[in-house]
Amino acid sequence: MNVFQYFAENSTQIINLTIQHAQFVFYCVAIGSIISIAIGLLVSTGEPNPNRFSFDWWATGIREGSLLITAAVLTIPSLALFVLFLPITGLGVTTAIIVLTIYTLYTVLRNTVAGLTAVDRSVLESARGLGYGRVRRLLTIQLPLAWPVILNGIRVTTLISISIAVVASIVQGPGLGKLLLTGITRIGASNAFPQVLIGTVMCLVVAAFFEIIFAIVQRLTIPRGIRV
Amino acid sequence: MSETENMIVLEAVEKVYPGSTAPAVERLDMTIPKGEIVMLIGPSGCGKTTTLKMVNRLIEPTSGRIILDGEDVTDVNGDLLRRKIGYVIQQGGLFPHFSIADNIGVVPKMLGWDKNKIRERADELLHLVGLEPSTYRDRYPRQLSGGQQQRVGVARALAADPPVMLMDEPFGAIDPITRDRLQDEFLEIQRTVGKTICFVTHDLQEAVKLGDRIAVFATGGRLAQYDDPDTVLTHPADDFVSDFVGGGAAVRRLSLLELSRLELHPVETDVAAVGNQNGTPVAEVDGAGRPVSWRHLPDRDAAGTALVTVPLSGTVYDAVDVMLDGSASLVAVVDDEGLPQGVLHWNDLVAGLKTRERER
Repeated sequence: MNVFQYFAENSTQIINLTIQHAQFVFYCVAIGSIISIAIGLLVSTGEPNPNRFSFDWWATGIREGSLLITAAVLTIPSLALFVLFLPITGLGVTTAIIVLTIYTLYTVLRNTVAGLTAVDRSVLESARGLGYGRVRRLLTIQLPLAWPVILNGIRVTTLISISIAVVASIVQGPGLGKLLLTGITRIGASNAFPQVLIGTVMCLVVAAFFEIIFAIVQRLTIPRGIRV
Repeated sequence: MSETENMIVLEAVEKVYPGSTAPAVERLDMTIPKGEIVMLIGPSGCGKTTTLKMVNRLIEPTSGRIILDGEDVTDVNGDLLRRKIGYVIQQGGLFPHFSIADNIGVVPKMLGWDKNKIRERADELLHLVGLEPSTYRDRYPRQLSGGQQQRVGVARALAADPPVMLMDEPFGAIDPITRDRLQDEFLEIQRTVGKTICFVTHDLQEAVKLGDRIAVFATGGRLAQYDDPDTVLTHPADDFVSDFVGGGAAVRRLSLLELSRLELHPVETDVAAVGNQNGTPVAEVDGAGRPVSWRHLPDRDAAGTALVTVPLSGTVYDAVDVMLDGSASLVAVVDDEGLPQGVLHWNDLVAGLKTRERER
């Protein structure tokens, strides 16, 4: 059976798996980004003020610690991490979502911290001098100015997640992994090659879809004054 | 001087940074009268910026009291306090993601002003700092030059009409020509708004030009002298100040003193005044009213003395230069249009130059 024939006969299933894959990636990236941005914001409230040594130490500790942990996690082979969670959360979507979410953390957190700390000191100083409190400064000055960098982090993490999500099918997670893994394990059999090829192409379709979404989101959410 | 005439009073204010034993600012008592410009000057690390930032409590003093317009603000909420004090820093510190109008409106917005009122105020202030509102209000900071950004920075600080402005080397990063223009405009604006201004600079020329008073800080956070510019230049309080002001202070003062700040002798252009006995020189003018030669000079041969002119925007140094160059013992000071505004005599230099109070 050639690739086109296979696609024609299984198009409903393939399209469903593709949509599922996109949803799976979307949820994990969304949850992961919210967690990472929240951590990033919490540890970046340190005032550029020598009176507040203690708070800065505390924030720096958490920041460096969480970056270290999330970076370390990123080096664990995804195949292994999915399996390691099996005894705790069992087969299925829960394990798939937890593990993929963990993989999304590092890039977004790193970019959030980098974006927030890269905001021009003179801008923050004048904000303080004009009577901006800590929270107002963080939410109305620092966050919008760091947003392009954060958004880029989310975009990169999305692309990485699309390929890691494939592995989730070994714990019976959702998405295109089902198609790809079936093909890979049965390599040499009649439908194996079309399955692998179509699975790969559909991953690219999902990636292209997210790229378009990000281009739109970027356009809509990055303030005009700092748009490049 | 009564309490209400002093806008800012620092009482025994001291700052010691954590982890350091030497104070950054040493027990400082300072009084800034309403409507005056006080220039804080000194070498790096002398505590001038720390002092400025203690006034709006961006830096909390270790001890001492800060009294603003009769009210002790040492322990009030810092953010609320800062909304009532204008603040301008070196790079302007405009918010890049806010339009120019929104940048100017930040403090009024925090104070809960009505939207229309904020917009009107932004336009009014853009006018004041010499930027056409219709052209600039919707632009973003990066579309403006450094000098224009700094003007917006000043407009933003003035937005909620605070009685006090703190300026931390606002013109420090600007090219000399633009800086000179901004300084002139700044004085012009101050004439209209009459704020009490605390201004940090490291440029003595700027301090003399803008300041009603100069506070010279010495290394180690000690206030070495606090006087009007002339006194600082001519009577340095100690060796530190005289070193800081530099050698040949008497001659240097000439290049720091602007002619517009001097009490000049009157000059006549009317032919009828020839032969007057009150010592007023009379100049012959061309069709546009510009002086071309002397008709009458008291106690002197008018024909033998060349008429030399110097612009009002120049310094006494320029006037001396012109007089030496033209072998003239007096010089006519002219305004931008070339119209005579007064006369400076060679003898005035020795007799002592009279400065006049700045117009308010």
